Amino acid sequence: MELTFFIAAAVAVLATIMVVTQYNLIHALLYLVVSFLAISVVFFTLGAPFMAALEIIIYAGAIVVLIIFVIMMLNLTQEDIQHEKEWLKPRIWIGPAVLSMILLVELVYIFTADTPDTYRSTPVEAQAVGMSLFGPYVLGVQLSGMLLMAGIVGAYHLGRQKKKVIHRFLERTEA
Amino acid sequence: MRLNDLTYLMPLLVLVGASIVTMLSVAVKRNHRVVFGLTVLAHLVAMYFLLPLRGFTYPIPPFLIIDGWGVFTMGLILATSLFVTMVSYAYFEQREERKEEYYILLLLATLGACVLVISQHFMALFLGLEVLSVSLYALISYLRTREMSDEAGIKYLILAAMSSAFMLFGMALMYAVTGTMAFPEMAAFLNSGQEMPLLFLTGFGLIVVGVGFKLGVVPFHMWAPDVYEGAPAPVTAFIATVSKGGMMGLLIRFISETNGYRYPSLLLIFTIIAIASMLAGNLLALRQKNIKRLLAYSSIAHLGYLLIAFLAGNQLGVEAVSFYLVAYFITTLGAFGVVAFLSDNVRDADQLEDYRGLFWRRPATAAIFTAMLLSLAGIPLTAGFVGKFYILASGVNTQQWILVGMLVLNSIIGVYYYIKVIAVMFAQPEQKPELRKVLHPAISFASGATMAVLGLLLVWIGVFPSTLVQLIRGLLVTFMASL
Repeated sequence: MELTFFIAAAVAVLATIMVVTQYNLIHALLYLVVSFLAISVVFFTLGAPFMAALEIIIYAGAIVVLIIFVIMMLNLTQEDIQHEKEWLKPRIWIGPAVLSMILLVELVYIFTADTPDTYRSTPVEAQAVGMSLFGPYVLGVQLSGMLLMAGIVGAYHLGRQKKKVIHRFLERTEA
Repeated sequence: MRLNDLTYLMPLLVLVGASIVTMLSVAVKRNHRVVFGLTVLAHLVAMYFLLPLRGFTYPIPPFLIIDGWGVFTMGLILATSLFVTMVSYAYFEQREERKEEYYILLLLATLGACVLVISQHFMALFLGLEVLSVSLYALISYLRTREMSDEAGIKYLILAAMSSAFMLFGMALMYAVTGTMAFPEMAAFLNSGQEMPLLFLTGFGLIVVGVGFKLGVVPFHMWAPDVYEGAPAPVTAFIATVSKGGMMGLLIRFISETNGYRYPSLLLIFTIIAIASMLAGNLLALRQKNIKRLLAYSSIAHLGYLLIAFLAGNQLGVEAVSFYLVAYFITTLGAFGVVAFLSDNVRDADQLEDYRGLFWRRPATAAIFTAMLLSLAGIPLTAGFVGKFYILASGVNTQQWILVGMLVLNSIIGVYYYIKVIAVMFAQPEQKPELRKVLHPAISFASGATMAVLGLLLVWIGVFPSTLVQLIRGLLVTFMASL
């Protein structure tokens, strides 16, 4: 099972490099989804199927979709529709698609493989995760709650203002 | 988690409860005075619950441990945060923007720092650090209408996130080697082998990046001047004290629990960092015309001094760190308190020119600022002098002659720019100072009284240091036994 881990890890690294080198946001996001999928497979091969599912539901599912929605809602003009047409060319989606295909093949292989020991170690089931979250690690869960509260209060305050502030470097060049 | 744990967690629970109550009160009706009162009350109640926790060592597995060091640093953090709150009221009252969220974030940041200093597990460490950092992102860029605030906030956000990533990777490597994230088990693993595994050392090096960033030591100091300048003055005081002190508390706990003083490679890293911080901080401060940036560079140098005592590693060293933290906190709070006090509603009083002839306009404020600067420079009769003396003693005690030499050299360099500011304050003003709108006396009274208390504490500790030394020794007696 070593090989499945390394393939998934390589896909994750490759996809993440593409995320930071792409100029177009949507292209970067496509690779970001692939990166999350790859990490999820990594979790799976390491014996954490529950974490793998969470990774897909929360990161690849909810968060990235939200980001894409926000980007698409920002300024929809005729130009953007043209852009969107360009995005649907194979040149754009072939890269992420190939990487995802590798992951899919790997996953199918894992499920259909003859050897029963799919995982590198004993798998951690959802029940065990829940038991530890609300057992010894309950303080951590509550601290995470406070972390979210700090984030929300801060984002609320910073996001409310409308006033545009010109950066001091830009100011100087304009004057 | 047992019911008894709750008694020991009361200070943290009070902070959590207060932040939630404050948030709800803001949701019902915005009232600066009520929120301010709630925040002050929360700090006082948390300190009240902290008092009976002295003299115990009470682990709350797997995350936290309440012991003498934890109680001392938590008390220090709470007191500092209380002083920051006191100074904040007059500062934010002058500004039109919404003020109430500031106090919620301040409470949460304090909570994060408190968790940091009593954590004995990487997960608690990281959560505490993130609660502190995330609150600070918003606090730094709190005054959105200022042009510098966005820049400071973004800079801190990116660099803090980056350093957190380094830290997480370091933790992952250490976990891979030892198979545990709790400090005591990690110590047991290290004690079983003679050599430190290379992967563990790599992980530790990555953690040093995160720690160094929060401490603002060279070479992770780039953010300090810009963030100090862009953040509101009370927030700057908070970053310079609570955030750095929390990290220092954690560092000492981690190194002494895992018995890190055995490894010369670790000590070498910190020796280089200490020397670089002292030199870079003091040399960069020499030509500074901006008070906030000057204090930023000076705090880089002071963290270098602190690392000398930290490197001593014995009982005297920890005592010296504790004493110096107290002295440095009082001094920094006082200095930034004066900056906040003199700021008007357009910008902070951060230019050296704002202080020209301050003594002739506001003699009391100038006197307090002078005392604070003299303490930073380490002139006798101030807390800073005794603190520096303590550090020197701990350095000499362990024969770290290079570090001691650098400390002496840098103290001399430091005197130059502190005295320069004092000289400007006592210079005769060239033109008549324009009259500023004076706040209601009751409002500036809170700030003024806080500054006076800080000034008195500074001189009192400087003249009678034995009271504080006894207090520190009494609190740390359980912690010292483990060294």
